[in-house]
Amino acid sequence: MKITENVQNNVSRIFLDGRFDANTCGEVEQFIRKRIDDGMHYFVLDMENVSFIASAGLRVVLVIAKELRNTSRGDLCIASPQPNVRKVFEISGIDNVLQIHEDVERAAKGFLQ
Amino acid sequence: MNICFWGVRGSIGTALKNSEVELKIEEALRLGVKAGLREDSQVSAFMQELPWYVRQTAGGDTACVEITAGDERLIMDAGSGIRPLGLKLIQDSGGNPIKVAILLSHTHWDHICGIPFFVPGFNPRNTITVYGAHSNLEERLRDQQDSRFFPVPLPSTFKVVQLSGNDHFTVGDVEIETIPLKHPGDSFGYRLTHNGKTVVYATDSEYKDLSTEALKPFVDFFQSADLVIYDAQYTMVENVEKENWGHSNMFTGIDMAIEAGVKRMVFTHHDPVCDDKRLGDFFQKAEEYLRMYAPSGGPLIYLAYEGLGFTL
Ligand SMILES: [Zn+2]
Ligand SMILES: [Zn+2]
Repeated sequence: MKITENVQNNVSRIFLDGRFDANTCGEVEQFIRKRIDDGMHYFVLDMENVSFIASAGLRVVLVIAKELRNTSRGDLCIASPQPNVRKVFEISGIDNVLQIHEDVERAAKGFLQ
Repeated sequence: MNICFWGVRGSIGTALKNSEVELKIEEALRLGVKAGLREDSQVSAFMQELPWYVRQTAGGDTACVEITAGDERLIMDAGSGIRPLGLKLIQDSGGNPIKVAILLSHTHWDHICGIPFFVPGFNPRNTITVYGAHSNLEERLRDQQDSRFFPVPLPSTFKVVQLSGNDHFTVGDVEIETIPLKHPGDSFGYRLTHNGKTVVYATDSEYKDLSTEALKPFVDFFQSADLVIYDAQYTMVENVEKENWGHSNMFTGIDMAIEAGVKRMVFTHHDPVCDDKRLGDFFQKAEEYLRMYAPSGGPLIYLAYEGLGFTL
């Protein structure tokens, strides 16, 4: 998994590139946790280049969002998922508890409102 | 090997409510009107066409699965589902002594509450061996039938075999292995092999770290099994909301089944708050997930209901 970040207006935009599954969930989780320790509270996970998400990836996203909401009043949302990844968010019911946006700009703007 | 489900509910026995029965009838009638039913003779065929959640129920009895392997009869867990199973064993026995092995995952109520109602236990001619890896297992079962909680003590027909949790033993010609699962107060999984066929019984368990390394012991335990019986009490979202409640979900089960090359996986330990319609809905979504990730083949998946059976 290739992970890059760009911070604007205190929102961390994390760009994931690769498969988000049992083999890569740990890297993503560690990366975000490190940034939470650095003081970040708001995260957009850009999934334009995520070809595949398994339950391991879904769980990381849910766990981090829950922690952010409970401990720092922060949040995490998803941007630009490919159709198959969006479908997994839908059938898993995660689209009911996490915001999913068309693109990273709109997602980041969501936090500022 | 023959496998039959007698109890599929988790946590507590859950009877079908009158309101749920009425909804089923109402929906069936509506569908009948839509299908233009006019004659008695059409009814049976129409019934078969009804969606599962309208025609049937998953059932309300708690954890119990019967496994017959050659001459051996094994019972996985002794939730309330073991009560009707006991009556059936008596009926089948034709008056001859009954010999069964009960393998307990753990001693939470929903997995042992049927023991006081297991009628074969009251006939000293029967041989009932209870296996389990929890410390002081015999004491736990006796305590359940302490006079403060139940009028009849645990009969001496129940012979307890204390396991360690990482066991390898046999019951007749059935080879059995155990593994510690992830559950508050512990739970243990069983892998049974007979005549080259393997069944894994793995409830209750919560997999929190879904990384390849963390899941490896469980994936190894499931490896190439013909059937895995899997705790899927929650959805993905509930699993995170109800952290440390000790259960899993269908999506994680599918990922583990694919990884382990499992042939069939049955989702059980249904949440008492989940009615048949919701269960059916969750299962349909799990089927979609499976189709996305294993478009060519992959495991066959099933939603457990009372009476579900397999011959391996
Ligand atoms: Zn249970
Ligand atoms: Zn339990």
